[in-house]
Amino acid sequence: MAERQAPLQAQDKLTFLLALVPYLTERGPVSVAEAAAHFRVSPEQLRKAVRLIAVSGVPGDTSSYQHGDLFDIAWDDFEQNDQIVLTHMVAIDDSPRFSAREAAALIAGLQYLSALPEHADREIVTSLMAKLARGSSSNPSQVAVAGSDSDDELRIIRAAVADGRRVEFDYRTARGASERRHVDPLRIESIDQDWYLRGWDHDRGALRTFRLDRITHLTATTKPIEHRPEDLPLPDTLFEPSEEDLVVTIDVAAAALPLLGDYIPDGAKTRPSATRNGWLETTLRVAHYHGLKRLIAGMPGVVVVLQPEDARRAVADWASAGAARYL
Amino acid sequence: MTDQKSAPRVPVEERLFSLVLALLATQSGLTKNEVLSTVQGYRQKYRMGGDNANLERQFERDKDDIRELGVPLETIEDPGQTGNNHILRYRIPRGSYELPLDITFSGAETTLLNLAAMVWREGSLSAESRRALMKLRSLGVESDEPMIGYAPRLRVRESAFDPLSIALERRHIVRFGYLKPGNAEARLRTLAPLALVQHQGRWHVHGIDQDAEETRTFLLSRIVGPVTLTGASFDDTGSDHAERALRELDEIWENGVGVIDVEPGTDAAARLTRRKGSEVTGENRVTLHYSDLNLIADELAGYGPEVVVIEPEWLREAVLDRLTATAEAHGASITADTAGADDTTGIDRG
Repeated sequence: MAERQAPLQAQDKLTFLLALVPYLTERGPVSVAEAAAHFRVSPEQLRKAVRLIAVSGVPGDTSSYQHGDLFDIAWDDFEQNDQIVLTHMVAIDDSPRFSAREAAALIAGLQYLSALPEHADREIVTSLMAKLARGSSSNPSQVAVAGSDSDDELRIIRAAVADGRRVEFDYRTARGASERRHVDPLRIESIDQDWYLRGWDHDRGALRTFRLDRITHLTATTKPIEHRPEDLPLPDTLFEPSEEDLVVTIDVAAAALPLLGDYIPDGAKTRPSATRNGWLETTLRVAHYHGLKRLIAGMPGVVVVLQPEDARRAVADWASAGAARYL
Repeated sequence: MTDQKSAPRVPVEERLFSLVLALLATQSGLTKNEVLSTVQGYRQKYRMGGDNANLERQFERDKDDIRELGVPLETIEDPGQTGNNHILRYRIPRGSYELPLDITFSGAETTLLNLAAMVWREGSLSAESRRALMKLRSLGVESDEPMIGYAPRLRVRESAFDPLSIALERRHIVRFGYLKPGNAEARLRTLAPLALVQHQGRWHVHGIDQDAEETRTFLLSRIVGPVTLTGASFDDTGSDHAERALRELDEIWENGVGVIDVEPGTDAAARLTRRKGSEVTGENRVTLHYSDLNLIADELAGYGPEVVVIEPEWLREAVLDRLTATAEAHGASITADTAGADDTTGIDRG
């Protein structure tokens, strides 16, 4: 997973400095390259931090930052060999504690992960949560995520990803059709309670994303995968916009807009609705109307399709057919 | 102002780093004046005997920023001089700053923590996760194996999450508008927040409702308008609020029972039978659980003609009302003729 390397904010930079000093102390001489790789920062970010540490210290008895009050490094090693050797330390010995929110974020993340098959025993998770709570500067904020049941499909696919074996399954699309699919599993992804498989679909000859709860009759084969994760960079978004996507204009209650985030293309124009007070008019991109009608019918009273006519009609027919089952 | 601008510019992180070092190094604490006049980044702007109001405000902001990172910046009052904040002394006690030495993480644990942090890579708590990982890397442990093959993600789309999580940490009482389905207007709620929990993919805040004087759980998606911190704080000693909130939500889920018929071979059949707690109780008949009538009615309405609610009666009505409203909003009129006229007949049953 490519990590985003956003520019560090001041608080992040401070945390980095406070983390780097104990690492350098403990580690002894280390190359810029190795330390940068360890902290997952660029070599230049690391050099900059080392230069700052080397001129920092405490005011000291004289309140004037005398030489002995400052950190020091072996400058020749640093300038000529890109090696970091701390030669004098002040004030800091050990790593800082986690903040209450930092510990809470990791604890909630761990709870979420405990749904994964290999953590089913949860022993490691429980002991880690206890360590984080103890290593936090105050009681971790209580943020918790209910574990979901990990089902057999997840277990089988996880094993197939690990072993690099192809899987086969019946897949029912939002259109309603079901087909046998042959897939090189590359990665299991999830958003909240929903699990997805991303893989190379041999029937389509393309990368595809499958919802696990639409997969049935799953079997792991013995065929090795032909497409490996390292050969196929997976885009960060689950669903890639395509040229063939249909553009739909909708009215949406302002409060419901965030729920449609996945379908609103970048740069979509959003403006006040022409006819509905407090609503907004914007556009969605959908692969087909079969998905659209389900989406809109599942958000009753807060979204209305304006055009095209076919889209409006698809939603109307879907909802009418649903209502008719009660008549 | 002018002479402050002409002073050599010290980067923010250097000033914050120097402040932490100075306060860690002192046993007895430094007064505000000592900090401003001697610590790197402040001293350059300090005016001896002059007005340092800007610099003092800077120091106040810096203290907040540092505390937010989990650095235990302490204030010590001179016993004989209570109330005089000019002689308050500041320090960072080493014992509560440093990670206890007996806390270590194995390679396998480090791998798992990296993955746990990745869960928050979008929006809320992503900065906290990133900083927690830096502190973890400080210990020098490498991950055992990169956990390839997984990209789990928690997502928070409700804007109420961030202010609530801050209030939670600071133990501040909050106020927000809460719109119950069926009510025309939001009602103002005042809450001492105790926990934020995600249950069945939805975020809830659990706390003590200050008007009802009882614990209550609210859905974040129904909070309307901003969440404001009232400034009042509260004492909280419990450590099992999140657990209790989730247990209560589980009970509600367990008690919310609906019976539906699903069309075989449809998306509804595939997904609803695999919902947590669902049981197939007859031919094409599924008994499912839910925690909120309105949410389950929305969800079932999305399946259109693929499901029919059998009971309870009010869930039947709620789903029918929704479908009728959606149909009418999209220009359809409901007649018996439409029955079976659409996709149900065209679905591949293989």
